Amino acid sequence: MREVPEPAGVSEAQGDARPPEPDPDGGPFGRSTATPYTVKVPGFEGPLDLLLTLAHRGDVDLSAIPLADLARDLLERTKRRLDLPEATEALWMLAALVEMKAKLLLPKPPPAEPLPEPETADLPAQLEAQMAEYRAFREAAEALRALEEVQQRIFLRPPQDPGPADLPLVGLSLDELFRAFAAVLERARRNQAAEVVTEPIRVVDRMAAILQAVRRAPEGITFDELFPEQVTTVMIVVTFLALLELIRERKVRAEQDGPLAPIRVRAVAA
Amino acid sequence: MMDAGTPTGVAVEATAASDVALVRLAAAVESVLFVAGGPVPARRLAEVTGASPEDVERAVAVLHARLADSGLLVQAVAGGYQLGTRPEHADVVRRFLQTEHRERLSRGALEVLAIIAYRQPCTRGDIEQLRGARSDWHIDRLLERQLIRAVGRREALGRPVLFGTTDLFLRYFGLRDLRDLPPLGDRGVQALLDTLG
Repeated sequence: MREVPEPAGVSEAQGDARPPEPDPDGGPFGRSTATPYTVKVPGFEGPLDLLLTLAHRGDVDLSAIPLADLARDLLERTKRRLDLPEATEALWMLAALVEMKAKLLLPKPPPAEPLPEPETADLPAQLEAQMAEYRAFREAAEALRALEEVQQRIFLRPPQDPGPADLPLVGLSLDELFRAFAAVLERARRNQAAEVVTEPIRVVDRMAAILQAVRRAPEGITFDELFPEQVTTVMIVVTFLALLELIRERKVRAEQDGPLAPIRVRAVAA
Repeated sequence: MMDAGTPTGVAVEATAASDVALVRLAAAVESVLFVAGGPVPARRLAEVTGASPEDVERAVAVLHARLADSGLLVQAVAGGYQLGTRPEHADVVRRFLQTEHRERLSRGALEVLAIIAYRQPCTRGDIEQLRGARSDWHIDRLLERQLIRAVGRREALGRPVLFGTTDLFLRYFGLRDLRDLPPLGDRGVQALLDTLG
């Protein structure tokens, strides 16, 4: 639900960016079934994506909003209930906010040649036209939602004999991969005292290392073997990212014979 | 949209049902669509059945009518025809397949997708200006799901990437082609929503 922001003047009233009224022109499709992440911190209360939009337009003063509180709040929420796509989206939005705030706090270089001002006289008209256009697309999005709903109720015959390359995750859900990752991370936490190295670890290097290891082992290697015994948190995160990237590129497969069985990573035959 | 399978400009003539050859052709088309599991262009159907493209279109219309009270339907999607299960039996099929409801696109992603669909080719900047919001995350997810793709670059400052929709986009929403999108503006979209009930 994105609203027409006050064109100016809101940012002075920092610490008081009220969540806007529901859009009276939202039409019958104004209410969405999606539940956006709502946040409540000093200075803002409302959906996270609205905060991002308002901050992006400069309609809310980010320097007055404690992002650390917001991060803590989101983290708490994911601990209670983890919806991976939703949490990822929230994380992305939070990162965008942090980036914006960082830029805000840094000293600005002197402004370059000012761009020629557009005709200010018809600015309200321009804004209105843009809003009308946006509303049309928002309605089109609702129409697409309706089509999506119908089409998701239609099932096609699955293609026969999918090749192995079509099944990069065999008998394994993302959640299980995530749990295995959490277990290795826990191991690193126990060894934390040893963490002094600051060598740069790059995803591409870890991808190459994993590929090399799985290609040497025709039976594949276990998930745990991907990580050295004395392992740093950074190393784990980068290795995990490298693994996901390799799965996405269909260069390796992750398989699990059954629940709680070890996860094996194998090379995909080229 | 349920009747998206009725090919335009093809009248289901009363004589068609009595035309033995046409009924046979419709059955042959049905067999091919059954094994294909995805949209097959009329041209390809004509090729494998040895019939003319016009007869194929008529046969599809016959098939469409014949399937009316069956569990299947024939849809015109992404420049071809496909055989699928009827949406009214979705719950039964889901129970059998033991699948969850499929993951729907988020509201933001749908907005970005709508802008790309109607405005293609367009850049990240075009989209963000219209929405007044950062859209990178949605664009990346849509690229990942292969509903959009980079179609080139605009010859402007920074040569920004231009995005367009994919064949999968048409299949995902059950559209024949891009002209099948409801006309942008209140009336077109409202009309579509009305037909869908």
